[in-house]
Amino acid sequence: MNPYLAGWRLGFLRTIRSPGDMSVRIGFFAIILVVMTALWTAAVDANGGSLHGYTRTSLLWYVFAAQTAVLGVRPRSVEEIGDEIGSGTVAVQMLRPVSVVGLRMSIDMGEACARLIASFTVGALITWLFVGAPPSLAALGLAAPAVVLGCAANIASCHAFGGIAFWLLDAKASWFFFQKLVFLPGGMLIPLELLPRPLELISFALPFATMAYVPGRIASGHPDPLLLLWQLGWLAVLLGMAGAVFAAGERRLQVMGG
Amino acid sequence: MTAVAATLRTAVANGLANRNSFWFQVSLMVANDITWIIFWVLFFHQVGNLRGWDAHDVIVLFSILLTTAGVALGLCANSRKIGQLSADGALDETLTLPVPPLAHLLSTRVDAANTGDLLLGPVVFLLAGNPSPERAAMFLFGVVAGSVVLIGFLVACGSLTLFVGGRGEQADLGFNAILIFASYPLDLFGGATKMLLFTAVPAAFVTGVPARLVRNFDTPEALLMVAVAALFALIGWGTFHLGLRHYSSGSIWIR
Repeated sequence: MNPYLAGWRLGFLRTIRSPGDMSVRIGFFAIILVVMTALWTAAVDANGGSLHGYTRTSLLWYVFAAQTAVLGVRPRSVEEIGDEIGSGTVAVQMLRPVSVVGLRMSIDMGEACARLIASFTVGALITWLFVGAPPSLAALGLAAPAVVLGCAANIASCHAFGGIAFWLLDAKASWFFFQKLVFLPGGMLIPLELLPRPLELISFALPFATMAYVPGRIASGHPDPLLLLWQLGWLAVLLGMAGAVFAAGERRLQVMGG
Repeated sequence: MTAVAATLRTAVANGLANRNSFWFQVSLMVANDITWIIFWVLFFHQVGNLRGWDAHDVIVLFSILLTTAGVALGLCANSRKIGQLSADGALDETLTLPVPPLAHLLSTRVDAANTGDLLLGPVVFLLAGNPSPERAAMFLFGVVAGSVVLIGFLVACGSLTLFVGGRGEQADLGFNAILIFASYPLDLFGGATKMLLFTAVPAAFVTGVPARLVRNFDTPEALLMVAVAALFALIGWGTFHLGLRHYSSGSIWIR
């Protein structure tokens, strides 16, 4: 079997065989949906039923898809990558005749796919129960690949940010920084259209919007295939960046002992 | 000095042993918290007043949350680790000591990152909470009572692992639930959710009620706050000690 496919399968199986962890994540996701429903319902009600074209229903389907895409990725992924590099564990991974970053990303993607299946299904059900049907079924259908692509872009970015540990021996700072970039310019906490105009324009120019905003925007009733192309473009760039960071880092890595 | 105070002092000294790392983690947490403040400012800039709450009120609520979380998760860092410690069989080393086990566990580890919350919370209140002597006193009262509620709840959730097994997932879910609910204005929620926040997941008593007391002091509500803090202290203590009867040793003496 192709090693990357085997890595994906390993990650997928490992996740579905950890029901405890999975149930906590789904419980966490359900709580977020309850809170966000309350928050955005109050916000929309206070603004005459619409905020920059988002109704209560469309906003909450936005929240569902954006949160699903972000929660699919292991939360401390960047920090863990940094720890493996900083501790020298990555040197053992480099002994394998496959790309370290490629194999890591395929395992992470396998894990993410297992989580996405569960959280997309449960989250869609909860959102449907709270706010009714999505603005369009086509949008919900197109949100599924957007969520997967958003997750893939997020995982690639995690590796690009985590790879900084080849130079700093720690990626905790870059993890915090990256997380906040997904929260605000990425559109996880708030749709980009609701940000002040200069911040909105900057956010659209950055890759983080492809990780949360695009799935959310599509699920909110905007099934525009160009948004998927936008994600694909940034995914290719981010994969290239992650590969380049690891390649440069592996060349300069020095590990003492064993 | 009591054994618990001495343990806490040692835990603080241990946390500060690597000063660079300590301050680095504190600054990361402060940066994290500031992002949330930016979010709230942007949010209220867009939506205006929300069921009687404006940006100022939410920042006061957030400052209470930061300080409370700083006490519960920074100074008493093991409050959210009881389930994991039980599952790992790591209570052995505490149970052999001639000290109250829960108090010892709670005072034995300080988390540097969450200490950042403890430092930033009062600063945020001083800068944006219109502090007057009365409001500052209520802030302090709310933080103390809210911290007791939060620690009691987290200990009770973690102790469930002693009854039902697992790897501390119950504590994780409880931790996530109470912190998320406590981060948002109480009046956003209604019906069953609001009922939940005053009972099973007492987030209302961690931030919502203290923030209301800072805004408008009300004696019955303050007394209720004291009673609820005492109740959750008792629930946490009782659940942990009852759970200890189900604890199986992991034969782990040194960690």
